[in-house]
Amino acid sequence: MPDIKQHAFLFDASRCIDCRACMVACSVENKIDMDKTRIWVAGVGLKGIFPRLTRATMVYHCMHCAAPDCLSACPVGAYTKRSDGPVLYDAKKCIGCRYCMNACPFGVPHFDYDKGLVEGAFIDKCTMCPQRIDNGLEPACVATCPTDALVFGERADLVEEAHSRIQAHPERYVDHVYGEKENGGTSYLILSHVPFAELGLPDVGTKPVRDVSQEVMGLTIPVALGWGAVLTGLAVGVQMVNQKKEAQAKQSVDVEVPSEKPE
Amino acid sequence: MKMKIALNPRLRLSPFVLVLLALMGIAFVVSMVRYSIGIGAISNLSNAYPWGFWVSFDLYTGIAISSGAFVITSLVYILELDQFRPLIRPTLLTGFLGYAMEVIALLVDLGHPERIWHYFIYQNFTSFLLAIGLYVMIYAAIMLVEFAPAIFERLKWQKLSALIKRFMKPLVILGAVISTLHQGSLGALLLIQPEKLYPLWWTPILPVLFFISAISIGLAMTILESSLSSRYFKRGLEIHLLEKLARGVPYVLGIYLAVRFGQLLLAGDLKYLFSGGLMSILFWLEIFIGAVLPIVLFSLKRVRQSPKGLLLSSIILLFGMILNRFDVSWFAVRHPDPLTYIPVFMKNVKYIPSLAEISVSIGIFSAGILAFGLAVKYLPVFEDPEKELEQ
Repeated sequence: MPDIKQHAFLFDASRCIDCRACMVACSVENKIDMDKTRIWVAGVGLKGIFPRLTRATMVYHCMHCAAPDCLSACPVGAYTKRSDGPVLYDAKKCIGCRYCMNACPFGVPHFDYDKGLVEGAFIDKCTMCPQRIDNGLEPACVATCPTDALVFGERADLVEEAHSRIQAHPERYVDHVYGEKENGGTSYLILSHVPFAELGLPDVGTKPVRDVSQEVMGLTIPVALGWGAVLTGLAVGVQMVNQKKEAQAKQSVDVEVPSEKPE
Repeated sequence: MKMKIALNPRLRLSPFVLVLLALMGIAFVVSMVRYSIGIGAISNLSNAYPWGFWVSFDLYTGIAISSGAFVITSLVYILELDQFRPLIRPTLLTGFLGYAMEVIALLVDLGHPERIWHYFIYQNFTSFLLAIGLYVMIYAAIMLVEFAPAIFERLKWQKLSALIKRFMKPLVILGAVISTLHQGSLGALLLIQPEKLYPLWWTPILPVLFFISAISIGLAMTILESSLSSRYFKRGLEIHLLEKLARGVPYVLGIYLAVRFGQLLLAGDLKYLFSGGLMSILFWLEIFIGAVLPIVLFSLKRVRQSPKGLLLSSIILLFGMILNRFDVSWFAVRHPDPLTYIPVFMKNVKYIPSLAEISVSIGIFSAGILAFGLAVKYLPVFEDPEKELEQ
């Protein structure tokens, strides 16, 4: 879909039937072992008392944040954010420190704990199928979704679409589009009929998680220079005071000798 | 007067050394298993807990207890408190070995230890982990140079030794700056997880708290290490020096407490002090053991002037402050709730370190102790540096 400026997903939890076809499609498309999918369907189980039972499932994969925390955290710059949406990971640069996993508020990147040095243990996460979207196709998970719980397109259009669905059926949805502003905006928008916390989505606020960390990082050079100046000043000051003391001690010892001759 | 340790060039295998070697052997075998079939085979780390015991113990504790080096060198070279000179070499040695142990531990914990050199070619300067890696390398090098006169004296290269000593002051200032940034960065490393770290710990001034507490840890570690080595190597204890160091501890910890509670007050997080269940208990434990109790103990002249009192008080302080490092990097970090359906790779949401995981850290620690023993045996670590020059 080369004509799209900002690719995005819209997931509607009320439409998901928990068939998990997206997981299969993703693993087939991206050639991933079935026990290590890049996408997973999380269910909150049955709620309520019979006959009034509710059930919700959540399709969970990379949120493709506008301000990715994984990208900010990675020491070797293995993450990149493409201008049209996808957050990509370069396995060739990765040193396996797993800081991105700590940084991601959504717990998305995952690691091969069962691979040694020869096989190579890597981080893996959803890529938004760039091999498909660059050729005008939808990502595999979206293409396979039988109920259109997952749709794909221009982010601005999908935000509008999400709000119009809420307006059309205010009794069905929680009045909020998760991802519109969360963590500075994400390319994965979520509509739900149950509270978002029940879907396992964290309350991250609208300010990107990485902001404080980067602001403090910006203080590094000023702190280093300032602290260096303070310590140097201190060292010089102490040395001068000590030298003066020594000179005075010397002076008081040899009182007979005048210390300086006027010229 | 101090007793000189006999320099014995012959290695004797005492039972203690044999135990250390055995522990190192176990760690070696376990890490070979890790390199062949993966981190999951020896540790309980998971996708929900990407960092665990190794990070808390090797990185957070290891770097914290190495802080004696910059504290003592700063006292001697910046404040010109010459009396503390005899403590410099042992603390520098401890600090350097602490950093070296951390790097070795990292080679087990990293998924791709063979790519550690990527730190030099792919650098992302928004990452505190990159900063920490660079600080480790720079400060380890600085400590090695600061310690080098001991090696050169042993080799009788007096000119080289004297040359380094001439540049000691700027070197110490540079080291103190890097060390400050390094200790602070360990706190800043967790700034990226505000929604995961419990509010009693997460604060933008985490780096400041880490730096202040590192000074108290450095003082306590110097006291502990001098006390222990005076027993083990049967040399005189510099109790008058340690007494003076101990006098500084209550002031440092007082500032620490003021900043810590002031921050909680300003951030409006005081409500978590009693309502957080286990988190509140952990908070009060580390505050009481790491700060309040040491302030009381080190304020008592009777405690400061007894070798046993000094040793015990510094152990208490270290225990509390290490608990703080464990809290910040592990215990107080909340991970995603287990959902009803959890994919295979997200299953391990409860984390208890495995025995094999701990054995790696213990093995590396044993290597550090052994290296300290060997260095003391073969290098003039405890000798008066000035005296050595005159010989």
